[in-house]
Amino acid sequence: MVGGNLSGRLAYEAARAEDAARGVGLDFFEVHFELLDARDVNAIAAYGGFPTRYPSWRFGMDFERLQKGYGYGLSKIYELVINNDPTIAYLVRSNSLMEQKLVMAHVMGHADFFKHNVWFGPTERRMVERMNQHAERVRDLIAEHGQDTVERFLDSALALESLQDPFGPLRRTQRAERALERALRPFSRPSEVALPTFDLLPFLIERAPLEAYERELLRIVAAEAEYFLPQRLTKIINEGWASFWHSRLLTGGLLDASEIVDFADCHSGATAAAPGQLNPYKLGIELFRHAERCGEDLFRLRRIHNDVSFVDALVDAEFAAQNQLFLWGRNGRTGRKEIVERDWRAVKAELLQGLTWGGQPRIELVDGDFEGTGALLLVHRHDGRDLKLDEASEQVRTLHGLWRAPVRLYTLQEGDGRVIVADGVDVRVFDSTKAKRFLDGGGAAGTTPSETGRSSA
Amino acid sequence: MGQRVWRMERDRARFKDIVKGRLREDLRRYLSSSELLGRQGQDVISIPVPAIELPRFRFGSNQGRGVGQGSGEPGQALSGEGRPGGGAGSAGERPGEHPLEVEVELEELAKLLGEELELPNIQPRGDRELNTDGSKYTGIRSRGPRSLRHFRRTFKRALVRSIAEGTYDRDRPRVVPIDIDERFRARRTKPKPESSAVIVHMMDVSGSMGREQKEVVRIKAFWIDTWLRSQYRNLEVVYIVHDAVAKVVDQDTFFRVRESGGTKISSAYELCLRLLRERYRPEDWNVYPFHYSDGDNWSARDTERCLNILRDDLLPRVNQFCYGQVKSSYGSGQFKKDLDTAFGSDERVASYSVAGREEIPEALIAFLGKGR
Repeated sequence: MVGGNLSGRLAYEAARAEDAARGVGLDFFEVHFELLDARDVNAIAAYGGFPTRYPSWRFGMDFERLQKGYGYGLSKIYELVINNDPTIAYLVRSNSLMEQKLVMAHVMGHADFFKHNVWFGPTERRMVERMNQHAERVRDLIAEHGQDTVERFLDSALALESLQDPFGPLRRTQRAERALERALRPFSRPSEVALPTFDLLPFLIERAPLEAYERELLRIVAAEAEYFLPQRLTKIINEGWASFWHSRLLTGGLLDASEIVDFADCHSGATAAAPGQLNPYKLGIELFRHAERCGEDLFRLRRIHNDVSFVDALVDAEFAAQNQLFLWGRNGRTGRKEIVERDWRAVKAELLQGLTWGGQPRIELVDGDFEGTGALLLVHRHDGRDLKLDEASEQVRTLHGLWRAPVRLYTLQEGDGRVIVADGVDVRVFDSTKAKRFLDGGGAAGTTPSETGRSSA
Repeated sequence: MGQRVWRMERDRARFKDIVKGRLREDLRRYLSSSELLGRQGQDVISIPVPAIELPRFRFGSNQGRGVGQGSGEPGQALSGEGRPGGGAGSAGERPGEHPLEVEVELEELAKLLGEELELPNIQPRGDRELNTDGSKYTGIRSRGPRSLRHFRRTFKRALVRSIAEGTYDRDRPRVVPIDIDERFRARRTKPKPESSAVIVHMMDVSGSMGREQKEVVRIKAFWIDTWLRSQYRNLEVVYIVHDAVAKVVDQDTFFRVRESGGTKISSAYELCLRLLRERYRPEDWNVYPFHYSDGDNWSARDTERCLNILRDDLLPRVNQFCYGQVKSSYGSGQFKKDLDTAFGSDERVASYSVAGREEIPEALIAFLGKGR
């Protein structure tokens, strides 16, 4: 059923949208729609979809950007939906009735995806309350330790939020003996993080010499990052699914005949790709349409896939040709971006590389007591793409701030080994044949062989 | 702001305080350089929204590849070049990650500029500040032509009068205005500031001014023109380029011309002075000369000559003289030092040295922030 603060015509349309959605087989938690002014929707969007977050300049910055974009008529948020039970969605008061219908149908698609996609399985479904608790707790800590201190620590922690194994939550739930263990420990983590690991943040929570309040802040950041993680992994398929169904439901009866043209305009705006760019909405909806033509079970696809596996399963020669996909590269002479080729295998490989590991570099912790010195040893699992060294150095420095002992990171720059070292004094980058050998030769477990097989210097 | 998200105003205020340098100075160095004019053309101007980007582990520059969609043959350049091409991984992860690009009217743009840089409005100088064509029908008087009769006011008067006289009948509410009730609209004249100004842009185009230096000048000149246009109704702009000799050119030439050779700054100042004597007499015009150079004059003697022209002839005629020095790899920047030594305390002279585009806002504040 549909709840929220809608009344009159909108409540009626929400009920119709829900009936239509259930009619085609979508299934979701209760959906709460709330009608808000654009300004409030911008604020909630800046808070990541939630009405309350802890105090931070970061949210203020995002809000400022959204407000300016809205004020200048550049960007406008149509829909905002959060993965929660009940699912909560916001409607912008200034939208037309047709736009509201579109958003409602679109939201039904997301709500179904949240409930059934396996990557969302382990997520906290009472996140609205959880965010509230976090906010209150952080406010308490601010009262105790001062806003600058708390915020500074949060900034460091947030800079590291992507240092979690994207597949960790799912792996952990699968490992846990389902019903009983989950009932007893709703947020079960293995008691000790085993090395090597990509779960750097959980490792630090467990082992870093932190003050009690710092550990608590780190836990809050980790929990929130874990909540948002599946959305990063399923952008294309989730938007594709929602767009596929809003299109089908609206043209299948929800629209008034007089609204068809406006709808087509709005829909094509949302799925338009700028020349030479990819729009996740567009890519996603086309992948589902392609799957439908191939006779696949769409509901099964939306249950089991994330973006990487979805693209891997469905992009083929026919799809690439139909959608005019190409690989672009920078012309070394002119500096311009040019179409390099249209071979679907190359296109697909590039797509997959961009999506893999949530689009982030893979940073693995291989040693928590490097050569007996108490130092951390991190390894950037290099896949052909170099790190930005200056920012990576800052990150290593931030890690040192939390670990309070030296931290080193092995990486490659244009094929040569580098080690970034942060100690109490400074952070420095050295050439390192050791790093090169380690990365090329395999080193510890979970390594990627170098693609060229260059001999180490 | 609704009840539920009222706390956002605090977060926003905190962010603004950080941007302005009042709080958390450790974050200042991550503030993205706010380029005031990203791209101008087809009336599209990018408006900067300040952002603080904290370091993260991210991929670097050897990643100039991606997947796109559309027609075209291999080898063909992507249309819409200049914006970061989106691989699927980077597209739309968060709302509005690209710099905002807006179509704005120049007038509005000037307002934004004034707000962002907190520029004061210009105080017109001298005794020419009144003219009389700013009038509107905002007044009321009791005599006037029928065509200007204020219907509502007239009947209101009549109603008041009839109630006072006791002739008003609630059941038959008829109000008939008589002579003394009549009210008419009247012209009110508002004095408006005299509004003619001329900008003289002078640029050093000797060999040492490279493309980037000229670009900086171009951006600066654009914003100066935009701002002053919002302050004066009638604005004329004159462009002068000089190496060892100076000449008046059109706007297009000003920004494109490529000269080489020596630098005699006095040649430009002399030409400017001649213009002020012949065409833009200070009795009729607010005068704003701007001079841009990398600061390498031909000789100390010529610099001496420049300072003399400035002191004796130019400064008495202008609202403000601005010198914008653009750092180049060749320039010594000596001219600014000489200028500051001679006129350091003079209100009428503003000088600023710019190393790159990101310092343009500061230069604009230095030039326009005095409200002269």
